[in-house]
This record gives sequence, C-alpha cells and structure tokens, in this order.
Amino acid sequence: MSRFGVETIYLDLPPFVGAFSRRLHDAGLPITPARSADFARALTLVEPITRRRLYWTARGVLVSDHSQVKTFDSVFFEVFGRQVDDEPFDPEDETADRRPQTADGASRSAEGVGESYADRGLRTTDQHDGDDSPETEVPLLLASDEELLGSKSFDALEPQELARLYRLMSSLELATPVRRTRRQVKSRHGSRIDMRRTLRGSLRSGGDPVHLRHRKRRVARRRLVMLCDISGSMEPYARAYLQFLTSAAGSGPNAEAFVFATRLTRLTRALSSRNPERAIQRAAQAAPDWSSGTRIGDALKAFNDRHGRRGMARGAVVVILSDGWERGEPKLVAREMERLSRLAHRIIWVNPRVAADTFAPKAGGMAAALEYCDALVSGHSFAALQEVAEAIKGDRPVACGLWPVASDAEPADNWASATPVPGSSVAMPSGHGPARGNTTPGWVTDE
Amino acid sequence: VSADEAAGELRRLVPDVETLAQRLAAVDYLVDEGLATSMFLSLRLPQPLLLEGEAGVGKTEAAKSLALVLDTPLVRLQCYDGIDAAEALYEWNYPRQLLAIRLAESSGQSLGEEELFGPEYLIRRPLLRALEHPGPRPAVLLVDEIDRADDDFEAFLLELLAEASVTIPELGTIRATHPPVIVLTSNRTRDLHDAVKRRCLYQWIPYPTPEREVEIVRRRVKGVSETLAVQVANAVSRMRDSDVQKPPGIAEAIDWVAALDLLGVEALDAQTVDRTLGSVLKYEEDQEVIRAAGLDQLVRSE
Repeated sequence: MSRFGVETIYLDLPPFVGAFSRRLHDAGLPITPARSADFARALTLVEPITRRRLYWTARGVLVSDHSQVKTFDSVFFEVFGRQVDDEPFDPEDETADRRPQTADGASRSAEGVGESYADRGLRTTDQHDGDDSPETEVPLLLASDEELLGSKSFDALEPQELARLYRLMSSLELATPVRRTRRQVKSRHGSRIDMRRTLRGSLRSGGDPVHLRHRKRRVARRRLVMLCDISGSMEPYARAYLQFLTSAAGSGPNAEAFVFATRLTRLTRALSSRNPERAIQRAAQAAPDWSSGTRIGDALKAFNDRHGRRGMARGAVVVILSDGWERGEPKLVAREMERLSRLAHRIIWVNPRVAADTFAPKAGGMAAALEYCDALVSGHSFAALQEVAEAIKGDRPVACGLWPVASDAEPADNWASATPVPGSSVAMPSGHGPARGNTTPGWVTDE
Repeated sequence: VSADEAAGELRRLVPDVETLAQRLAAVDYLVDEGLATSMFLSLRLPQPLLLEGEAGVGKTEAAKSLALVLDTPLVRLQCYDGIDAAEALYEWNYPRQLLAIRLAESSGQSLGEEELFGPEYLIRRPLLRALEHPGPRPAVLLVDEIDRADDDFEAFLLELLAEASVTIPELGTIRATHPPVIVLTSNRTRDLHDAVKRRCLYQWIPYPTPEREVEIVRRRVKGVSETLAVQVANAVSRMRDSDVQKPPGIAEAIDWVAALDLLGVEALDAQTVDRTLGSVLKYEEDQEVIRAAGLDQLVRSE
C-alpha cells in the first residue's frame, strides 16, 4: 500500500478502511466502527487523488482532538510514507502542546517510566491486594491505617505502607467552594418566578396565578486545578501526591490534574479511570520527565498560556504541590504566579518542606511565589493532607484557623489573632485581591 | 422541496473540495486544504464540524463564510455559563398564554393544555429556528464557544447533533426537513464530552503563514498597500513567536492594518508601531515585552 492511486481506493475500499482504522486504533486513537464507516463514505465523496487529500480526509474524520494529531501522523506516514512533493507536507507544527504520542515514542516512555515507577513501589498495591484481608474488613483496616500512617511523613513510607495510604486517601473529601451559576432550578423560596410552572397552575384557576412558583440560581462547585511537581527533589512525595491527584481527578467532572518537572503534562484524562491503580500507571506513562530538574516558572507559564488563560483557571481553586526548588529564574515564577492569581479564586501551595523545623521560604521559587499564594500548607503526611482538603474547601474558617479565609466569608480579625505554628501550616503575608479579601496574619519563620 | 432535491442542490453548489475552496475565497475566506476538506465533508456527509484553534484564527468566520457560500441564513448560538434549553431552543410566550386563558374564560370557552402549549405560543430560539429553516438549502447553525456551556447543555445538544431533531415535551419531537449545517467552535477551556466529539468532524485551525495572512488582510481591508500588509504580517508573526501572553490572531492583524490605513500610514516604522500597538496587543505586559525587545526588530525586513 505504499503507492496510492484512485483505482486502489475503489477496489480495496473496505479492507483499506478496515486495516487503516485498526492500525490507528492499535496506536491508541478512539476509533469506533461508526467512525470507520464515516471514513469510507468520506473517501467516496472526496475521491482522493493525492496523498495530501487522503491525509486531510482521514484526519478530518478519524481525529477528534488536537492531541491525537501526532499519533495519527505517525501511523499515516508509516503506511503511506512521507511526502516529498512540491509543496511541503507539514500539516501542523503546533506549539508542542501534547506529550510525544508517536507510536514508538509512547511505548518507549511507557517502558522506561513503567520500570522506574515500579521501583518506587507504585505497583506494590497489586501484590499487596493479593494477600490482603477481604473487603469486609476494610473499615477496621482504615482505622488502624489512619492511626499508623496519619502523621508519618510521606518520604519515610515503606512501599507496603504506601499501598495502604492509597486507600486512606480515597476517603479524603475534596470539595471546592461553590459559586452561583446562571442556570436556575426549582425552589420553594427562590427569588425569581418560574413562569412555566406558575402558568400551568393558573390554568386550573382561570388564568389567575394564585400560587406563584419560584426558581433560584443554582450553585456549582468551583473547578479544582492541581499542579504537582514530580522533579527529583519531590520524588519521595510525588508517589503519594499522584494518588492525591487521582482522588482529586475522581472528585468530579470539574477537576483538572497536571504534573510538571521540566515540562507540563496534563493528566486529567489519564487519571479519570475508575480503577485508581490503572489511573496511576497511565499517568506515570504519560509524564516522561519523572525525577528530572524543576522549572516551576516555565511550567506555570505553560499552564497559563495553554489552559489558564483560556478559562480553566478562571474562578478556580488552584493547588500547587511543590517544594519550590526552582532551577530556572525566580522572576519568571513571580510573573506567572501573578498572572495565575489574577485568574484563580484561590491559590494553595502545598510544600512538604514547610513541616521541617528549619523551614524558611527562601528557596528561590518559593520566595517569589509566596506573595501570590492564599495559603501555604505542608501536606507532608496524611494528616497534613486533610489540612489541604480544608484549605481547598476554604468557605469557612478551619478548625485551627491558620490560613486566611476570604473576607466575605469571615472578617479578617477573626483569625488574625491566631498564632501560626511552625511545622504544620503557615499563613500568608499577603492575600489581597478581589477574590481573596484582605487577610494578613503575619508571616512566621522558624527563627 | 424534497430532501433529495435539497441534497442535489448542495451537490451542484459544492461538487468537490476545490469548488468549495474557490467559493469560500470568493467571499474572502481563504482556507487551506485541511479546513476545506473538513468543511466539504461536513456539508456532504453531512456531519457537524468541530473547530478548535487559538482565539482569532477565524473559527467563527468559517461558519459565516459557509452561510454566505450557501446563501442561507446563519443562525448563531453564543454559549455561556448557564445557558439552557429555554435560551437555546424554545420558550413559551407566557404573556400571550395568560391573555389566551383570560380571553377563553371571558367568552365562556374552556382552554385545554394542548392548545395553550401549541406552536402559536412558542418563542423560537436559535436551535429551533435552524431546525425549522424551510430550505431549499440548509441553514448554517453556529454553536459558538461550546466549552463555555456546562455538561448538561452538551448532553442536551447530542440529540440535535446526531439526529437533527429536538424533543419538546409539550409538542413532541421536531425533526428538521433540511438538517442545518452545524459548526461548533471551542477554545478548549475544558474537554468536551467524548459523545459530542464522536458525532463531529474535527479540525484544528493553526495560525496562517505570513504569505496567507497578507492575502487575508488585503482582502479584508480594501485598498491597503502590499508593502504595509507584508510588514504587518511579518510583525504579527514575530509577535506570535515572542514571549507574549496573548499572541495576536488574524482578527488583530486585520484591526491593526485597518487602524494604520486610517492613519494614512504607508510603511511601518518603529514610531507608527508605537502609536498603534494597542490595536494588536491588548495586555500591558505584552506591550512591554515587545517594546523591550525593540520595536525596530519588529519592522526590520528579514
């Protein structure tokens, strides 16, 4: 099938469509039989005379997202060869948005990452599950797990403990604050009149709307965006945080998860599996830059440019999990944090090193970012992650009153007197901005 | 006009990809082969077309131009947070209904629910208007920025995308006699549901090459000199390659040329760029970035 002509198409249409669709499917594109049928019909319509026309026809019908283009290209070029015609056949030199999805690239990184993260114990749950107690004993296990693991730092966890931690984490409830949408729902005491229901009622009373029915604006949870640092310095925590991301991504349709080290990888899709084990495996395969250096500024810029600015971060609760050890320019971190803070409702920075006695926000990236965070929490252990969940909720003052709450929810002086305790969570020196309110409890270091 | 005749009409109007591309060019919308093929297939399969791309690359224009080529109305539905069936599909005309009830009562008649919720009391919103378009050629339905609507609305659109029909509880299913050509656009603020994507053809519109951009700009701003168009296209392309938050789209390039043209500028230099930068870069930070890199750099010829 290296040479392609009009006659071939007419003679071999069904087998060609079948074979090509199957190859794309094997390469990971979601090709359904219905799509293949569309493709066959499309081919009869355009009668592709050139390889270019065939390319665009196939791509128009069979590709359903920009991230699939690279995979599609690699399969197409494999089957039909690269074009060396007069016109350059460079259908798309896109802004390198997606991970490399070329068929062999994907499998290569899959192998590499798969191995390395098996080393880190991410797969041990499988083995663990095998000799684990039956389902019915889970509650008992939960209690003791929480006792055992609750305050143990993630970097000190044994692989089998990590496996148990995963189960614990799924019990964490991650709920963002609500906002009012424009959509309306029935309500007994809503502020607006539901004309349709009122009118139906008035039919029975001769056109007099005796009983007014009401509607009110529906509330919806804000979007939750998680950005997790998986660079070398975060490695002991990254495996636990990845599970945390899975819980977050599974917490509803309105959650997004990204990981970054030297580049930004969107994991929302990879994590949205009902099976958390598989989700984590897929996520590890998707992100090729495990344990490399950190470029927080670049990652934040990539997020702002590709996703945040388009609307993903607008009004959202953004959680950044990173130790702030930046290899690049702290100035860039500050600039991108400022951009992000203009878009987001709240920014919560989770830094496991906050828990250390000697912590001071001096790491270049951390210091630069601090001004724009609404809360800085440690999240170094399961107990500390519960604080993160509280910070995400953020709509009422938390028990220990350590981080700022938007002023419309609570006057600032309510918690301004709270004494920040070094080691668990630290309140922000700033916190102004329309979405944030004015909240300045003073900033604590550990001197 | 029967459905067959309508299909014949469409076949006559756009027999192949090249003809469609030429007809689009005739209404000043220039397409590359990828977009032309997708638009052609969308018309002839027929199947809804989902367009994505950076802001200002001409996603909305694509639908408008298609309507011009077909010489049919463009029905535009701008999506927003919270849009629902009452704003997209239909709403009942409550004041008229109330009046009808009163009228019936005063003349001693009884008014049933079937009469009250009949077609004459229906307010037709964009989706319904597109479905009820009488032909002979299909209307073009533009569902703009679908990613701004919520999941519920996407689910609601599915029936329309797949069957070219909608169901109104009081009236039953309304099926289009001439199914509209449906163009959806998205800015990718969130992932669309797979079920929606499955029903659509998909096309990503990239920024045009500088040569293509010169052509587009000259078609949109009549009488502008080629020198100026080339300079602007080059400058805009350099801006896109630089470190700006919001790279200028074609729309901004056109605005800029129009502004320069109005000011009587014949050739771009650092000073005129400085005066008019606001029509192409809309963020203070972006202007700073470009100024710091040197406005001379922007207008140098290769």
